[in-house]
Amino acid sequence: MAVVSPSETANKGRSDLIAYAILSLISIFCAIPFFWVLIASFDGNAQLFLRWPEQWTFANYVRVFVKEDGAKWLFNSLFVVGSATLLVMVLAGLGGYALSRTRAWWKLPFLYAILLIRVLPPTALIVPLYKFLLTLNNAEAAMLRPIFGSYTRDIMRWTGFIDGYLGLILVLATMQLPLALWIMKTFFDGLPKDYEEAALMDGATLIQRIRRVLIPLALPGLAAAGLFAFMSAWGDFLLPLILLSSPELQTLPLGLFRAFLRINEIDYGLLTALAFIYLLPAVVAFGFARRFLVQTFSGGVKG
Amino acid sequence: MINLRNVRKFYGALEVIKGVDITVEDGEFAVFVGPSGCGKSTLLRMIAGLEGIDDGDLILNGKRINDVPPDKRGIAMVFQSYALYPHMSVAENIGFSLSLKKVPEAEIRRQVEGVAEILQLTDYLDRRPAALSGGQRQRVAIGRAIIKKPALILFDEPLSNLDSALRVQMRAELQRLHRELKATVVYVTHDQVEAMTMADRIVVLNKGVVAQEGAPMSLYYQPDNEFVATFIGSPKMNVIPVAVTRPAAGKVHLHSPIGLSLDLPDANGAVQQGEAKLGIRPEHLKIAAEGQDHFTAEVVIVERLGVETYMTVGSQQEPIVVRAEGDIAVRPGDRVSLTADPAACHLFDSAGRVIRSATA
Repeated sequence: MAVVSPSETANKGRSDLIAYAILSLISIFCAIPFFWVLIASFDGNAQLFLRWPEQWTFANYVRVFVKEDGAKWLFNSLFVVGSATLLVMVLAGLGGYALSRTRAWWKLPFLYAILLIRVLPPTALIVPLYKFLLTLNNAEAAMLRPIFGSYTRDIMRWTGFIDGYLGLILVLATMQLPLALWIMKTFFDGLPKDYEEAALMDGATLIQRIRRVLIPLALPGLAAAGLFAFMSAWGDFLLPLILLSSPELQTLPLGLFRAFLRINEIDYGLLTALAFIYLLPAVVAFGFARRFLVQTFSGGVKG
Repeated sequence: MINLRNVRKFYGALEVIKGVDITVEDGEFAVFVGPSGCGKSTLLRMIAGLEGIDDGDLILNGKRINDVPPDKRGIAMVFQSYALYPHMSVAENIGFSLSLKKVPEAEIRRQVEGVAEILQLTDYLDRRPAALSGGQRQRVAIGRAIIKKPALILFDEPLSNLDSALRVQMRAELQRLHRELKATVVYVTHDQVEAMTMADRIVVLNKGVVAQEGAPMSLYYQPDNEFVATFIGSPKMNVIPVAVTRPAAGKVHLHSPIGLSLDLPDANGAVQQGEAKLGIRPEHLKIAAEGQDHFTAEVVIVERLGVETYMTVGSQQEPIVVRAEGDIAVRPGDRVSLTADPAACHLFDSAGRVIRSATA
C-alpha cells in the first residue's frame, strides 16, 4: 500500500466531504418528486407543493379503487404487460437458443436488423402500424360476426387487434423482443454445449433436456430478459393510448393521464395515489432484476 | 471390445478422419494422443454418438453401433468441462441418468451412495458443484459416468482444467479407478506424459490418420515414423539431417553438416546412400570421454536442474538438446564434446518413415 502522509489524509477527508455533500444534494433533488408522490398520496388535502400532511389518510387510495376504475386499470396493465412479457420470454428463450447454436451466415445481419426495431421511434411507426392492425382487426371482425353475431364485440375485446388485448400484447411484445433475443442469444453463447451433450448421453429426451437442463440453466438470462421487457412495456404510454379506446380496456398510465385531463379541477391526492400504484410494480421488478442482471452480464453460469 | 474399421468423417468437403482402424480390448486403458487438430476429439465424439460417422464401422462388443443413439450405446463420457449441472446437488448430478429412466428414488439413492463411496464423495453429496474443488468436480463427473455401468468410458481431456500438482494426483487416481472398475477406457489428450503414464495402449493420431498404435514403451523405442518419434518422449527426439554413405558392406556412415560423424551397423542393407534423417533422443547423447569418437558443438542454452542438466547445442535454428545425468558446470558459449550411442539411433527417410530402428 502507498504511504500516505497525515496532510494528505486530511486533504482526502476534506475532498471526500465536499464530494459527499454535492452527491447528497443531487440525490435529494432527484428523490424529492418521488417523496412528494408518496407523501401527497396519503394527504387528505394534497397540493402541488411539498408539504407535510395535516392528516394521514387512505382516502385517496380508496377513491382510486372505489370511485374510479383503479382495480380495472391495474388489472388491464398487469394482464397486458404480463402477457407480453411471458410471450417475450418464451420467444426469446427459443429464438435466443436457436440464434446462439446456429452457424447460418445470416445470423449477424439478422440480429442487427431486429435491433433496428428497437431503435426506430415507435411514434414514427404509429400510422402504418395502426393501418396494419386495423386491416387485421376488420378481417377478424368480418370472420367472427357471421358466427357469433352480437357477441362478437365481447370476443374482440380479448382477441381484437384494435381496441382489444391481443393487439396491444402483440405490439408490446414485438417492441421488447429484439433486446430480449440479444440477451438470450448472448446468454446461450456463454453456456457450453457440453451440458446438453452430457444430458443427451444420459438419455434425456428433447423435452427432458429443455425442462431439466436448459430452462434451469437459462433462468437467470430469462429472468433478466423478462424483467427488462416488463419494465419497458410497463412504462409504455403511447401504444395503449393509440390502440385502446374502450374505457373498460384502459391501462394505468391512461387512467392517470385522463384523470389529469379532467376539466374541473386537478385532484392531486387521486393522481399521486394512482402514480404510486403505477410506480410500485416497476420498482418491485427492478428489485428482482438486480439479482439476475449481475449473473447474466458478468459471466454466465459457473459450475 | 471396441472396433473402429476404416472410419471416416467429413466436414463438408474437408476430410478430418481419414480411414481409421483401431481396436481397444476389454478392460484396456487406451489413450488417443496427438496435437490439436489431429482429429482425436472428433473421433471420441464419433464413438460417443455426438458426431455422425460418414463411412466405416463402429463395433462395440460385436454389434455395429454406427446408427445407435448416444444413450443406447452403453457408453459414458466425461467431458473436458465436466458439464456438471450447477442447479443440481452432487447426488442429483450423479443420479441424473437414473432419474431420467424413472428409477425409484430409494434405488437411485442406494446406487449414488455406492458410487460416492468409490470416489470418496460421500461427504459432499448435498453440495452444489460450485462449492467443490477442481479434483472433486472431476470425481463427480466420473461418478456420473460410472453409475451407468457403461461398457466403455470416454474421457475428453479430463485433466486439462487442473493445475499441474492436481494433475499428477488425478493421473494416479484414474489408474486406481481403472484397476478397481476393470472398465474399458478411451482417453483423449494432447499431453504425451498422460498417455505414457496411464495407457495400456496408445494411439497416436496425426492429421486424421493413425500414425502408430501400441504399448507406450514400444512407441518410445520403436517409433514407426518421425512424427511419433518426436511426439512421444520429453524433451523431444532430436532429428538431424545427415548424408549416408556405405564405406563397407553391413555398415553405413552418417555425416552431418554440424560435424557429427557416426558409423552404424546395417546388416541387411536397408539403408540407402544419400539424404536421411537421424533421430536420437536427448538422453542418448553423452558427453564424450577421452579418446571416444566425438563431435564438438557450442552450447547455446543450459538448464541445470541438479539431478540432470539440459544443454541446447548447435545453433538456434537447428538446436540439438542433450540430457546429461547429474549437474554439469557448463556455460553458454562453451564447446562440449559429444558422442552418440549408435544402438539408440533411428534413421528416417525424407518422408519421415523409419528405415532403421534403434536396436537398444
